[in-house]
Amino acid sequence: MNTDQPVIQLQNVFQSYGSTPVLKGIDLSVSAGQVVGYIGPNGAGKSTTLKILIGMLPDFTGEVRVLGMDVKTQSLDIKRRIGYVPENAALYDTLTPMEYLNFLGQLYELDPAHIEHKALELLRLFQLSDHAHARMTTFSKGMRQKVLLISGMLHNPDVIFLDEPLSGLDANAVVLVKEIIRQLANGGKTIFYSSHIMDVVEKISDRIIILAQGQVVAQGTFRELQQQSSGSLEQLFAQLTGSDTQTGVAEEFIHTINQ
Amino acid sequence: MINLILWLLARMQPLIRAAGADYGQLRAIVQVKLMMDSRRNTVNLGRYGKKANEESNNAFLKTLAIYAVLGSLLSIGMLGTPEPGVLFFPLTLQFAYIMALCALTLISDFSTVILDSSDNQIILPRPVDSRTLWLARIVHISSYLTAIALSISLGGLLVVSYRFGALAGVVFLVMALLSAVLMVFLTNVFYLVLMRFVSEEKLREVINYVQILMAILFYGGYQILPRLMNTNEMFSRALPHEWWHFLIPPMWMAGAVNLIVKPAIDTTHLTFLLLALTMPILGLWAMNRFLTGNFVQQLNSLDQERQPAVRKDASGMKPVSEQNRGNLVDRLSGWLTRNPLERAAFGFAWRITGRDRKFKLKTYPQLGFALAYTVGMSFQKMGGMFYLFALYFAGIYVMVAQLQLSVSDNYRASWVYGSAPIRQPGDVLVGSLKALITKLLLPFYILIASYILYQFGLDKIDDVLLAFSNSLVMLMSSALMSKRYMPFSIAQDALSQNNTSRGILIAAVLGVVGLAHFGLTYLPYGVWAAIPVSVVLVIYLFSQYRKTGWESVEMGG
Repeated sequence: MNTDQPVIQLQNVFQSYGSTPVLKGIDLSVSAGQVVGYIGPNGAGKSTTLKILIGMLPDFTGEVRVLGMDVKTQSLDIKRRIGYVPENAALYDTLTPMEYLNFLGQLYELDPAHIEHKALELLRLFQLSDHAHARMTTFSKGMRQKVLLISGMLHNPDVIFLDEPLSGLDANAVVLVKEIIRQLANGGKTIFYSSHIMDVVEKISDRIIILAQGQVVAQGTFRELQQQSSGSLEQLFAQLTGSDTQTGVAEEFIHTINQ
Repeated sequence: MINLILWLLARMQPLIRAAGADYGQLRAIVQVKLMMDSRRNTVNLGRYGKKANEESNNAFLKTLAIYAVLGSLLSIGMLGTPEPGVLFFPLTLQFAYIMALCALTLISDFSTVILDSSDNQIILPRPVDSRTLWLARIVHISSYLTAIALSISLGGLLVVSYRFGALAGVVFLVMALLSAVLMVFLTNVFYLVLMRFVSEEKLREVINYVQILMAILFYGGYQILPRLMNTNEMFSRALPHEWWHFLIPPMWMAGAVNLIVKPAIDTTHLTFLLLALTMPILGLWAMNRFLTGNFVQQLNSLDQERQPAVRKDASGMKPVSEQNRGNLVDRLSGWLTRNPLERAAFGFAWRITGRDRKFKLKTYPQLGFALAYTVGMSFQKMGGMFYLFALYFAGIYVMVAQLQLSVSDNYRASWVYGSAPIRQPGDVLVGSLKALITKLLLPFYILIASYILYQFGLDKIDDVLLAFSNSLVMLMSSALMSKRYMPFSIAQDALSQNNTSRGILIAAVLGVVGLAHFGLTYLPYGVWAAIPVSVVLVIYLFSQYRKTGWESVEMGG
């Protein structure tokens, strides 16, 4: 791959649901080997951006290229080389992890024996060996999240989109997944993930993009962002997204409860 | 069954590739879907999924057996005796029956499959194109539909083969399968067109009502049609062919079979054959070619649409009509309930029963059936007994609704009953039951009663009143006798089977009460005298129900 060329590129992207505008002119560019934290308040358009990037929402205006390909016309080729882990633990839980992963492998037209071997190994590394052939209906949220993470990376994608990748995981698994993300990026993969947990974003991102009301309000490394205003990412986030009056709101909340 | 379908699929591999789909992916999707159907306890395949604890579709097989028996009876009745010359019309009816059942099944049970957006998150991010996904769904549905079409036409196949030889049988079979294909095509066009013109938010709502309407039409048509049609004449006379016959799909199939049976190789019959062979295939091909391009995208927008709607609500821009309705509910609950808890339950049950699609789908068709039954029966002029029957029948259907009141997909939200300081859950039970009575039983009763008063005279008012009060007695005793669940607190499959026995018991009691009522009509003022007794009983039963404590309430999930 040409290293000069950005892996992810959005130019002047607008998207609306019905008459409600969701994205109002997003411009972004991400190069290979970066971990990008994409943060913003609820409803800012994070998930919408992710869906556009993986080619699920082709009716936006503007230009979006992933791995140099246009998501509007080459979405299948893009999908083959990206991984996506959705946020709300959507999987077919009447299947066992092995059945589910085999199924997904078939969608990528991978060799079944290869997938079988790989999936078993990955499940073992996530300490799910004992559950590899149990139906996922009984799985906890953390176990499902592990299966989801595997399902997003099984086909060895070049770009990985993660939506709240750490939700439901226990503390040890969080450390493990953070380390996996880091090493993937070191190996030249691009990780683009959205999260609400500022501490994590602050620690593992090479670059942070803050979205508010459908627009990018700040981006750069954590250091660069700190130059705008000091403090933690949490404080910075509150300032930029216009909710730095939380203390006041909290007081009001208490007051209302006491009424 | 899964292996058989996959085997068939492998045989059709070139066809699938020719249609522009990826065979490997399609096979994987179909396999997984079938596997999941067989595992689910509460399948979203409507009636077919009831309890399949093992890895087999027992419930579905049972349904197939019933269809086979019904279909055979119909076929023997219609195709068994008529001479080859007059067989065209019975054949038409036969194929119409197959098509109607297929369409009904598709709309009532498989719309969830066609419009399933639950795998948006799972399959759409993968490199699967629109056509493959759409074809996979068609194959998934068709595999069930083929089984249904086969089982219905089994009897007809045997009758036709026995009477007119194997060739006629084979043609009959092929025509039955093509009927199923044609219905897949027509329902899909229906959905795709609907998806294009109805806003996505409304789509599910619209389909819900179509489902209810179809169910009513089916039940109602079953009751009314045979009485309206002078069937004898049509069975014994050869039907002259009119030009518009070429527009009626069942007639294509009938004509094609007739071609062999009669035998009649003329332009008319050849045209029928041609239409029967080409239209279903052509339809599927055209749809595959022109309509499915943005199928995936539209599926995706099914999910998306919810966001802005929610946002509007949050910003306080509630539609005016909703607010007005809210006032009506508040006023009604003010009049009809005694304490705040009961009042809250009344409003809660009222609103959810109006919005939960599954609840509507389970209860409204039953009411429609009762209505169709009333009208259908009245054609027969059964005299004295009939209207009582109709009145008490209504009561049974509300009992079904009462049972359904405890069921919800969001049953997990029932933790609120546990965390809230509710001293006497009976208040909640009474409140929600009152909402159900006011919302379902009362308007329905008024409808049936006014029809009966119109048909049989105003002096039947005493019967109507007593029957209403008695229905309440029945409803209350059924509620008291069955396991008590908080409203919307359990999953569908948790609604245990042992309620059936109580249902039978109640039906028996209902019969006794109805008979007693019938007896009273022979005594002067007997009915009027019974009304206060019944009303007192209702009040007593309500107070008993209200006393329900936590110890007698079953909490699900």
